[in-house]
Amino acid sequence: MTLLRTPAPTDATPAEPGRTRLRRRRGRADRKPRVALAVTALFFALLYLPIAVVVLFSFNTIKSLTVFDGFGLRWYRAFLHDEVLINSLGTSLKISLVAMAGSVLLGTALALGLVRCRTRLGSVAGLIMLVPLITPEIVTGVASMLLFKGLGVTLSTGTVMISEITFSISYVTVILRSRVAALNPEVEEAAMDLGATRWQAVRLVTLPALLPAVLACSVLIFALVFDDFVLAYFTTGVDPQPLSVRIYSAIRFGVQPTINAVGTLMLAGSIGLIALALFIPRLFGRRGGLDLLSGK
Amino acid sequence: MTLSPPSRGPRRGRRAPATRIWTWFMVPGTLWMTAFLIASLVLVAVLAVGTTDSLGNPRFGFDLSSVRALTDPAYSHVLLRSLGYSLLTCVICLLIAYPVAYTIALHGGRFKNAMIAAIVVPFFANYLVRMYGWSVVLSDDGPLLRALRSIGLADSGTKVLNTGTGVVAGLVYGFVVFMIIPLYAALERLDVSLIEAGRDLYGGPLRTFLFVTLPATRQGAAAGLVLVFLPAMGDFVSAQLMGGPDQIMIGNLIQDKFFQGQNWPLGSALTMMLMLVLLIGMLGYLRRTRKDEAEARG
Amino acid sequence: MSPEVPPPSRRTVLRAGACGLLSAAGASLSGCGFMPAKKPDERDLAPVRARVDGDLVYFNWADFVDPSVFKGFEKEYGVKVIQSNFDSMEGMVAKLNAGNRYDIVFPTAKWAQRLVRGGRLRRIDHSELANSHAVFGKHSYFADPWYDPGSAHTVPFTAYKTGIGWRRDRIGDLTGSWKDLWSDRARGKVFLLDDRDEVLGMGALHLGLDVSTADPGDLDRVTASLATLRPRLRGFSSDSYNNLLNGNALMTQAWSGDMAAMLNQAKDPSVFGFQAPKEGTPINSDCYAIPYNARHPGTAMLFIDYMLRPENVKKNIEYIGYPMPVSGSEEIYRALVKPFPECVVTEDDLKADLFFRNGSRAQEDARDTAWTHVKAG
Repeated sequence: MTLLRTPAPTDATPAEPGRTRLRRRRGRADRKPRVALAVTALFFALLYLPIAVVVLFSFNTIKSLTVFDGFGLRWYRAFLHDEVLINSLGTSLKISLVAMAGSVLLGTALALGLVRCRTRLGSVAGLIMLVPLITPEIVTGVASMLLFKGLGVTLSTGTVMISEITFSISYVTVILRSRVAALNPEVEEAAMDLGATRWQAVRLVTLPALLPAVLACSVLIFALVFDDFVLAYFTTGVDPQPLSVRIYSAIRFGVQPTINAVGTLMLAGSIGLIALALFIPRLFGRRGGLDLLSGK
Repeated sequence: MTLSPPSRGPRRGRRAPATRIWTWFMVPGTLWMTAFLIASLVLVAVLAVGTTDSLGNPRFGFDLSSVRALTDPAYSHVLLRSLGYSLLTCVICLLIAYPVAYTIALHGGRFKNAMIAAIVVPFFANYLVRMYGWSVVLSDDGPLLRALRSIGLADSGTKVLNTGTGVVAGLVYGFVVFMIIPLYAALERLDVSLIEAGRDLYGGPLRTFLFVTLPATRQGAAAGLVLVFLPAMGDFVSAQLMGGPDQIMIGNLIQDKFFQGQNWPLGSALTMMLMLVLLIGMLGYLRRTRKDEAEARG
Repeated sequence: MSPEVPPPSRRTVLRAGACGLLSAAGASLSGCGFMPAKKPDERDLAPVRARVDGDLVYFNWADFVDPSVFKGFEKEYGVKVIQSNFDSMEGMVAKLNAGNRYDIVFPTAKWAQRLVRGGRLRRIDHSELANSHAVFGKHSYFADPWYDPGSAHTVPFTAYKTGIGWRRDRIGDLTGSWKDLWSDRARGKVFLLDDRDEVLGMGALHLGLDVSTADPGDLDRVTASLATLRPRLRGFSSDSYNNLLNGNALMTQAWSGDMAAMLNQAKDPSVFGFQAPKEGTPINSDCYAIPYNARHPGTAMLFIDYMLRPENVKKNIEYIGYPMPVSGSEEIYRALVKPFPECVVTEDDLKADLFFRNGSRAQEDARDTAWTHVKAG
């Protein structure tokens, strides 16, 4: 299914010619399309304006989110003293990590199976895997809650994890499928000709080749799960609630600037992570680390 | 050669090796999805003909009143509005994303990765926090309207927040990245020599764009459209934060029925109606891409 | 479809469907009917002593208790408060129905009655609460409220009313009537609360009807009259506080407590006003309640008692802006809402009895449909 295959920007051309291509392109593309440039500039401005607002008001000295009174760290201190928010942050991290591990494990196996196994079971599995992609999240959320209730399962952090995994498997599978398909099965067979068992061949040849894409996927799933509030809202129990649920419960009646402070910290954290992803490979003399994001 | 995704996978005619082990690879994931997703969706369908008790507990049964209630024109009205907003969001996202992706992919130079990172970063701040920030930006005394007023593009009566424009602006802000990434991917792997050939063949840059670049990125655009359309149809945050009295969407209605109204059967029935609409759309999309692929394979 | 997978045949699709049906059947069979609710027995409903029996699992609106009060409670009793929040009464009950075990919840009067009738709340022995006399001794209304005879299962937490908040600096004075919402002065900048009962109740009071009416004729009149408000309306939002502060609203239906909370933030309170319209103001009360399946009801009792201590009542009133029916706190609240005297909830307000009442299933459905029409237009 092509829905998400196209985005993986990688498969068609081999990875390396990028550099030479780029150089040649520069020569030709001197006439920059001004309209496109203007749109891009405007886009970036509007993209960051709300972020700037969030960051700015996190430093406000009064409770308002619309009137800026003065610069201070009041809301950061409030956050540090707010055990509820800190517990929520911890719960969210836990859920994201488990959901990431679970869905990447199941999704990678499923992707391998779907590509290599052309049986009827394969096409049934392929169909099932598409369902979450056409299901609005609110439906998935409600449905999971109904299911857990029907089964008599008490809602908890665990049930949030299960729903998040269910929701994420499809994304992993869809993204990895094109990567798996791009692998040459003959390499595996060559390994087997050299005496490896099938399992060894998968473990020593196929999986390492998939690793970068798997890592990229993990980052994506982590971010998606961490951000999600719809599924979590419906399936969370009496354990400390995930951060996004806490924010959602407050947003209807107006949030406190502590939330802005949390948002700002999260933003700073992710910028740090992405910067690491961008620069660390460079330290080792590899090409730009965004390959990780784009699944190269 | 890059005009179509190359056909991958094991070469035809080769013996499919050791199918069994690959079957086992599929089993856990498939079982998981069946147990937790398919089963729960079937429950939703079953509940659409159920009832509730006084505390809002759903009960199984066979009662068509919820399904009949869907004939109330209020619902189809909201559904049509949601379709309209989502389609409009798709179009606007495409109009924004194309130039942005084009600029980055073809003129980004060594800032390419940094720019893509800059697009992704805001999406790591919480969705709700971002939307709340956006609603502050769009408010009457917010920076956007103040700027527009100062250059004479808006007057004191102009408002964006709590209008249809506001909701669509919210949806666009929320989902435009899903359009940029696939388009960027498509443009990025577009072979520049093709454009050069196009220039030689057609002359002007506009014709080159229309006849070479655009067709080559059609699949990226299609993927982007689906990725924007689906979440937009289910969204309820945008209408809640940025809509007015005439802007509620189908997602808000569903949420209302499940919580405010405590009418789970009606909520389930609405849910099934929404999924049916999306399914029809998806089938159309799949057919279209299958045909594309068939053509591409020749 | 992609090249790797043969396009699904009709049989494949059917098989996928069958998979789902089978698993759903399994799910519902194992549950023996949907959502088996354990019938609470007498032991679950009997009052318990106030003593530490574990951490407190707390479920309330977000930001509705001063964080320093939690801190003090945790320190004094050596327990943790595990907090979750809901964004609507329905959301709260849905979670209770789902079997989540909270130690303390905060239903409004109408929802307290439903939970009491449904046998979902543990009885509370007032003599176990050292500070309860400040509530029940002085505020006779709450000694025997309509929603919970004898306050056997609940203790009142807050009391508040719904009126109109407005920007005095932009539109001048109002006339003290719900009709003000229809005035053209604030055209396009009027908000209503995003709440079914509040909006329908306002519409009914404005027409002189019963605040909880479910009569089809009445509801038609209410929706018709609310339809005439639509052109003046900017939206449904419960964030009255920020809407007024940032000028997106010139007039908004608002809870008295939110208006009082806004006073903390407004530099110049005189630019705002709050009125309790003369046709009648809906009145409401949140209360403390302990669900029958609470794991730590003893700690919950301690928590209620702790919250009723005068110093904590004062902290909370100042933090959330909602008055509490605890004797000794009346003056504190009066001082807090000096610019908005109509925020004060008096015994007479309570006796006017404009609480939202429960209706039958059919009546609730009728109100629900009316609300959909009001909202969807």
